[in-house]
Amino acid sequence: MASARIDRETAQRRKHWDRKWIPYALLAPALITILIVIISPLLTTIYYSFSNVDLIFNRTTFIGLENYQELFTSRLFWKAIEINLKFAAIVVIVPTLMGLFFALLLVEDFIGRGIGRTLLILPWALPWIVIGLLWNWLVNAQFGAINGLLYSLGLIDKYIPFMADEDWALIFTALASAWRQTSFSAILLLAALQTIPEDLYDAAKVDGAGLRARFRFITFAWIRPTLTIVLLYNIVLGFLQFDAVWIMTQGGPGDATMLLSVLLYRETFINFDLGMGAAVSNVLGLITLGVGLFFVRLTYRSQAAYA
Amino acid sequence: MPAELGTPGRGIIRKLMTYLAFFCLLFWVGFPVYYMMITSFMKSPELGARPPHWIPQQPTLDNYADVVFGDARQRGSSGGVNSFSRMMPALLNSTIVSFTVVLLNLLIGGMAAYGFSRFDFRLSRFAYLGVLMTRVLPALSLIVPLFIILRKAGLINTLWALIFTYTIFILPLTIWILREYFDTLARDIEEMALIDGATRWQAFWMVVAPLAVPGLIAVGVMSFMEAWSEFFFALTLTNSLTYPPLLMSYRNLATVNWNGLAAATIVGVLPPVTVAFVFQRYLVRGLSEGAVKG
Repeated sequence: MASARIDRETAQRRKHWDRKWIPYALLAPALITILIVIISPLLTTIYYSFSNVDLIFNRTTFIGLENYQELFTSRLFWKAIEINLKFAAIVVIVPTLMGLFFALLLVEDFIGRGIGRTLLILPWALPWIVIGLLWNWLVNAQFGAINGLLYSLGLIDKYIPFMADEDWALIFTALASAWRQTSFSAILLLAALQTIPEDLYDAAKVDGAGLRARFRFITFAWIRPTLTIVLLYNIVLGFLQFDAVWIMTQGGPGDATMLLSVLLYRETFINFDLGMGAAVSNVLGLITLGVGLFFVRLTYRSQAAYA
Repeated sequence: MPAELGTPGRGIIRKLMTYLAFFCLLFWVGFPVYYMMITSFMKSPELGARPPHWIPQQPTLDNYADVVFGDARQRGSSGGVNSFSRMMPALLNSTIVSFTVVLLNLLIGGMAAYGFSRFDFRLSRFAYLGVLMTRVLPALSLIVPLFIILRKAGLINTLWALIFTYTIFILPLTIWILREYFDTLARDIEEMALIDGATRWQAFWMVVAPLAVPGLIAVGVMSFMEAWSEFFFALTLTNSLTYPPLLMSYRNLATVNWNGLAAATIVGVLPPVTVAFVFQRYLVRGLSEGAVKG
């Protein structure tokens, strides 16, 4: 009798512990470390953006909106916005379209498909620093592969210093980012394409749907949620990319590849104006957050429409 | 596999278009990589040849020897600074960091994901959303406060600075993917184990964890790739202890040894590329689950 009661008591205590403490014990390590390493720096950055941070005397003075006022009236900021929009346009359009193209190819049945699928992963597996180096190689004015190729084909008789030209520099830094992002997009889209049930096509054929109709109402409709996510990722990258651009041009020539992220780096680590750097980073954060929320709503709405 | 998706036409034309597209893919991915590879097998005079040698005429492994054995045979360049003597230690450091990050990430992230999946307590929705929000932050902007915190903790220029930072920045993605994964695992088996007298702890390790192995692999592989590749934190929080910032430092030298740099680059990407190829299936799954379940 006694032991049965003890058993029941232990069981009850355990149940109590289960319900009350286990969830918190499970979440605590993750939430506490995220609080320290992500949330608290985030709040600090927001505070910095309203302050003048004096590194020499280690003083932080609250100055209200002054950083933002200065930022929004500076020519460089608006130039960076313009450059960043162009950059993002390439980083969104090229990977999304090429990713879709490669995904549609690799879902076909042909000899070499396995090689193609494996090769597709390669750019994604390379670190951004290596992407930057690789594209430096391609566009180099002394021994670059693109110059080499054009020269071999007889299209040019003098090597072109691409990265000394403002437009080429922006295009090639964007293409470098697009190169890796194309793989990422294609991987996601290919995975989505592979889940389309074959019956759908058969049924549509029986119903007399043409190739175009089948693509639009089956293929496209099926992968639309994935396509939305791919677009989201590409847009966010278009604004957050730093590594590859920094390695290739460090913002130059002149200010030709001065993305917002490069501007942020420059204000913080070269001009040591932490307040201004924080202001830029908050603007950048708001842009990506806005894009993110917009797409989340879009996804939910389209899901609701299908339901 | 549906054979009907993109390309119109049939028979020979369809085949022709498929292979044309295939060639585009080969060129798009292969050309940049191929060029770096042949550079790594050349001696520096050959690099400047015009028209370029698309196949090295005097292939050499010297560049790789320089990278692996430090600068023992460094020829004709500025000596000490341009040496690759820090390369192998950096690769070792990268390995240590990456594996520790994977383990910590699986442990902490797995626990949290399981908590989010099985218990619906008051804070959980809010905390979960908060965790997800961290994914759209420009990590760049957190570096200054982060640097101050890590300096106070005495971790600047140690591998721990990177291990902590990477683990915690990857956590949100891990929690996201694993939570979805745990949600799909049947609760019934687990409940049954609990009724049979197993503790939560036992139920987790004996029932849930084994079923979750594919999800854990996917997440592990992704965090390995991220930890191996991260550049910016490594650049600012350490003095080039790991592979990515060290590579950058060679690039910034006044006299860049391009052929050696190519070899160093290739040696350093072997681990992530191998991991990606070997775990292709898991990776694709992890990627699409992490991305699409938003």
